[in-house]
Amino acid sequence: MSAASDFLPPRMLERLGGLDLIARTIVSGFQTGVHRSPHRGAGEDFAKHRDYQQGDDVRYLDWKLYARTDRLHVREFEERSNLQCWLVVDTSASMDYAEPEGVTKARYAAFLAAALAHLMLRSGDAVGLATSGGDAKLLLPPRSRRGHLHDLLLHLERMQPAGTGAMAGALDRVGGAMTRRGRVVLISDLLEDDGGDALVTSAGRLRARGDEVIVMRVLTPAESGERAPGAGLFFDPEKPGQETAATPDADAGYQRRVTAYYDGIADRLRERGVEYVPLTTAQPVEEALVAWANLRRGP
Amino acid sequence: MLTLGIPAFLLAGALAMGVPLALHLIRRRPPLRAPLPTARFLTEDPRNAVRVSRPTDLRLLVLRMLLLLLLGLALARPAWVPAPEGTSTLVLLDRGSAMRGDGWRAALGEARRSLLGADGEARGELVMFDTAAERVPRNRITPALFDSLLLAGASDHPADYAAALRAIPASARELRGADSVRVRMISALADGGWTPGLAPLRRAAWPGTLDLARVPLVPIVHDSGYAPRPPLTALTLSARGGGFASAALGAAGLEGGRADPGAPLATDAAVYLLMDAPSAATAAQLLERARAGATLIVTPAAATDAIRAALPWTGGFAVARNSAGGAMWFGPELELAGAAGRVEAGRPADGARVAAAWEDGRPAALAKPLGSGCIVFVGAELEGGELPYQAEYPAALARLARACASTVPLALDARPLDPGALALLRGRGPASVPASALASEAGIGLGRWVLGAAILIALVETWLAYRRRRVVG
Repeated sequence: MSAASDFLPPRMLERLGGLDLIARTIVSGFQTGVHRSPHRGAGEDFAKHRDYQQGDDVRYLDWKLYARTDRLHVREFEERSNLQCWLVVDTSASMDYAEPEGVTKARYAAFLAAALAHLMLRSGDAVGLATSGGDAKLLLPPRSRRGHLHDLLLHLERMQPAGTGAMAGALDRVGGAMTRRGRVVLISDLLEDDGGDALVTSAGRLRARGDEVIVMRVLTPAESGERAPGAGLFFDPEKPGQETAATPDADAGYQRRVTAYYDGIADRLRERGVEYVPLTTAQPVEEALVAWANLRRGP
Repeated sequence: MLTLGIPAFLLAGALAMGVPLALHLIRRRPPLRAPLPTARFLTEDPRNAVRVSRPTDLRLLVLRMLLLLLLGLALARPAWVPAPEGTSTLVLLDRGSAMRGDGWRAALGEARRSLLGADGEARGELVMFDTAAERVPRNRITPALFDSLLLAGASDHPADYAAALRAIPASARELRGADSVRVRMISALADGGWTPGLAPLRRAAWPGTLDLARVPLVPIVHDSGYAPRPPLTALTLSARGGGFASAALGAAGLEGGRADPGAPLATDAAVYLLMDAPSAATAAQLLERARAGATLIVTPAAATDAIRAALPWTGGFAVARNSAGGAMWFGPELELAGAAGRVEAGRPADGARVAAAWEDGRPAALAKPLGSGCIVFVGAELEGGELPYQAEYPAALARLARACASTVPLALDARPLDPGALALLRGRGPASVPASALASEAGIGLGRWVLGAAILIALVETWLAYRRRRVVG
């Protein structure tokens, strides 16, 4: 695994140019390689032998080994997962926010989605793309064919954050479109009018039917309270008419309230078996992927 | 002590400081309006809702105010003067030969009053000069010094004012700590030699005034080895004229007479004015009379080969003739204008004494002892042009007749005086030159350092403003 200091910060990635190169760079930094399925069975790559048990498919008996050892073993293979994966990217207006000399949350989400798509397609998964927010739609159905990555990256490049919209609707639409069990990765700032109740419910519903659900929360350091801005009139880009005269950097309660909001959502998601990965745009994308991978492997 | 050449500029700079401050305060900007998706978690802070003007970048404001102040200070010509000591006096005491006798006593009295306080302590600096200037250490300026100077008397050498004037800047520097320096020259102002010193005088810088204390010139009779007998008679030798000159000599107190230079001398005289070429015999007679004690005045037209060897002049005799030959200076008080022609070639012989000078400084008349007498060469025709019609004509001829006598003030060391110096010498110019009329850059100039600091601050301000613009942008 690469050290965190080796990762390129998002603003440096932005200078690389197209998403394809950015995604390859991120994946290159993310040295854990392709996602491997926890299932072992009849794939292409040999994994190990185990003792034959009643019910095992006799096609996988290793007859040569039987001849040498006089014991029955079956061959196990690492199976390509071939999951049906949906990347759901939040394109609401709030995702267009960036700090000085930083990238927007939407751009960071695009980096993340591109890197994940790259990784998933390499492992044989079928990857689809959906957006939520003002222009919520299912952009690309899951495919694993060669050339699909290009289509994904093209759509990610063209995404323009605008309008408002609830995440729950997008998750429900994706759930309806999934023909078998799969994986849903939601990349969003999770700023919901209802405090995230509908989102948690929708994510829980997907999880309950056996889908793997991962929620990646993206915020800027200013939003999270790490580097709060100075005095001014602030407004939510999704509600520009409502201004609040405030001094966030002098408001001790601001960070506390932000943290409490996201901790509440995270707790409820975890209760429903949903993986929650908090990220900020100051973090290298590779670092986010590594954190996520470690989270999935467990302690 | 910090002094300012033009304090108004500092005041202007201080007033200008208020401009950026006023702009900073007057400029009412709305509070920063910025998007923040997490604005819902903010609590209202009413202080930010009103349109107030708060200093947004104090560093830039301070730098801009400082920049204006420093520019004003730099233009105000600041200087550092170590310590104020009030007004000091620098006395230039003429100890030249013209100061002999009562003049010396008067001059010493004046210097004493100028330099010594009631307690006998020196209050200034003393520079004595004749041909050279000598600065007297302050600890030597005591009543005893003046007593000893009185006993010693004045110098045998003529005074060189240029030397004294050149000494002013150096001596004034010794008095740098004073608020102002009063330079007081005590002299009979009887001689020339000003001009070479005037340039350094004008360049000299000291805060104060220049005073001229003129001591009355007292005629002094010298006991010189070649002092002629008092002229009683004068004979004008001219083939074509000589009437004007003869009459003028008579008007000057010399009993006149005329004779033909071609004929042998029949009468004896104390002064012979030879205006046309003499015969060889007459020439020999004239030289012999001169060696015996007479004064022989020779004009260019009369300088035959027989006489030329004895003249105080060597080289050519090219005579330029025009209607404006120029004016001859015989001393501060005598100017003879309107000569028709003048000798343009040759040079003074060794031992010759300049008796008169042209305006441009070249010698016009030279005198040289000849035996017990004297021979004088005048580089102009003494009856040409407008000379005979000048009121000073008789006096000028009489001066030529006594050119070898050391009691007669000589002409300016062959240097003409500029109008300013002449005005001073004749007592018609200002006795005091205000310090403001002189180049004043007293003390250690700080202007360029202040300007350098202002430039540095301007660079820092530019850098800060650029950085701020980048961050805001």
